[in-house]
Amino acid sequence: MNDHRRAQLGAIADELIPAGSGMPSASEAGVAGQYLDEVLAARPDLAEPLERALEGVDGLEGGAAIAKLRTNDPEGWGVITAVVPGAYFLNPAIRAALGYPGLERRPIDPDAPPDYNDDGLLDSVIARGPVYRPTPAD
Amino acid sequence: MDPDVLIVGAGPSGAIAAKRLAEEGFRVLVLEQGDWPDYSKATVHREDFPLTAGRDWGWDPNVRRAAGDYPIDDSESDITALMWNGVGGGTVVYAAQWQRNMPSDFRVRTLDGVADDWPMTYEDLEPYYVRVERDFGISGLAGDTAFPPGEGPPLPPVPLGPAGKRVAKAHNELGWHWWPAPLAIATRDYGHLKACQQVGTCLQACHYQAKGSADLTHWPRALELGVELRTRARVRELTRRPDGLVGGAVYLDADGNEHEVKAGVTILCANGVGTPRLLLLSDDLANSSGLVGKRLMMHPFGTVVGVFEEDFRAWQGPWGQYIHSLEFYETDASRGFVRGAKWGLQPTGGPFSMTSAYPWGAENEIWGEGFQDAVRGRLGHSIMWGIIAEDLPEESNRVVLDPIGTDEQGVPGAKIEYRLSENSRRLVEFHQQRAQESLLAAGAYTTVVAPFIRATGWHLLGTTVMGTDPNTSVVNPQGRTHDVPNLFIFDGSVWPTSAGMNPTATIAALALRFTEQLIESRRDQRIAA
Repeated sequence: MNDHRRAQLGAIADELIPAGSGMPSASEAGVAGQYLDEVLAARPDLAEPLERALEGVDGLEGGAAIAKLRTNDPEGWGVITAVVPGAYFLNPAIRAALGYPGLERRPIDPDAPPDYNDDGLLDSVIARGPVYRPTPAD
Repeated sequence: MDPDVLIVGAGPSGAIAAKRLAEEGFRVLVLEQGDWPDYSKATVHREDFPLTAGRDWGWDPNVRRAAGDYPIDDSESDITALMWNGVGGGTVVYAAQWQRNMPSDFRVRTLDGVADDWPMTYEDLEPYYVRVERDFGISGLAGDTAFPPGEGPPLPPVPLGPAGKRVAKAHNELGWHWWPAPLAIATRDYGHLKACQQVGTCLQACHYQAKGSADLTHWPRALELGVELRTRARVRELTRRPDGLVGGAVYLDADGNEHEVKAGVTILCANGVGTPRLLLLSDDLANSSGLVGKRLMMHPFGTVVGVFEEDFRAWQGPWGQYIHSLEFYETDASRGFVRGAKWGLQPTGGPFSMTSAYPWGAENEIWGEGFQDAVRGRLGHSIMWGIIAEDLPEESNRVVLDPIGTDEQGVPGAKIEYRLSENSRRLVEFHQQRAQESLLAAGAYTTVVAPFIRATGWHLLGTTVMGTDPNTSVVNPQGRTHDVPNLFIFDGSVWPTSAGMNPTATIAALALRFTEQLIESRRDQRIAA
């Protein structure tokens, strides 16, 4: 993706994800740079539809580009709203700032007591009795 | 030597039948249009997994377009049909929510005056539920008050975790049912399954092989027993003989070469779209009732999210469900509709999922100022009820052959025509309102009712209805087609009504029951010799 398209993407991305809450904007976080490259490395099939979406809003400011995409190009809007957050969250600094460690293994401890009846949670369910209609007699 | 039994489809029902028949010494050949799942693509610990999961493990064959897929024209359907065409079938990508049907599900006509009763009862199927729960390594807890007493699954339930406990407590205060979730998720090492790591990617195949999918629970043993499984074998049609029996099938291999196989008995296990498609491709086979393809049921689906101050770290967990609730499952005519729905409490996913239109809805769009705070507010702090709504059978909801589209090898695809009924709309709306009340009672500071989306047709049921009358059903209570004595259907196509449950438990129990009945009647079974 050439520099012009990257600049276009960066402008749109900053409308979607401006800086805030102590965290950088999309373009500051590399959404149109390194992390776009990583997105397209993982999903090379997105390159063409992304290019097409940006081409369709060439020359428009970020906000106007978004308005046009939403109205006239749902597929392009879908690609943009996948690529932009996808790239943003690929940045480890962003994930750290959100307190998100990624998917971790949380093995179930076979020796831990079950938690389903903590504080007698199930007692009232059981005390209420059956909540189904039995098979009627023929 | 020709096989005794030909099975079309290597999903759960095909796997169950193949394994059980092989145990009894039958020679079994299974033709599967797709391939084995490639677990090397279950790259759950890569940060780009949210981007690749939809491509590599997507549910929609029209989007995925993998080797075993055929096109489905859904332009006249309110819901799109989702499936996994490959070894293991839908269990490869299911949420593993292992729900038995309730007794009333088998007596819908008698109890509620609509649709049809099943030609069997809960009690008839109960021993088979018990057996398939052992076979699939089901976790859960016996004694659920929404079901008759009896033996429970072999493994203890997944932890409720802080979110599950919070909602369970709220239901106790409301006086509403809940129970630890029944799941095809191994909570201990069990057979070919490993203990769950709670990574929360069940829907994109389990990287840790903790999910009870048929490629893991059944196929290794079936192959050891001598079952022959041919993958990338796309059945084009069943072959008919002058004596009225089915002789076998003609299939196309990956290179498009045509092969014919012959078998004494043929069993279709190709799901609620694939099975009627194949019968229609075979010159309207077994369709004297005119019901092949009709009565398609797909379960309208609702989602309600609750957002909490508390951080549940709910971007992962046992994605199937922490707990389920069947409080509003049974019919209450005062609600303005019949039948009901099952609820499953689920995590909501990682940061990427916090930005998506589903389940958050256009009115809660996250873009612009405050984006980061909004992500922080949702991430780990949100949980959702998934609502499986029963839809009633209607002949206008149906599968037909696509008059235009074909698969890669020129075989006509399927077309589905499906409209939500007024009963379904009222039912979903009612349940969404109650689910909001549940989450608010649990302390949610806001709830979101997800917008209706079409891409929820995971459950494909009803298109070759089972019954005792050949005029009003396609197969008999043994799964044998009324018209063709050596042709059987063992998949979810045979369901007379859809229940409001995730269907794999009952598909599996039925397939095992059908198989046992076939084995038992082997001496009297007419075969294509």
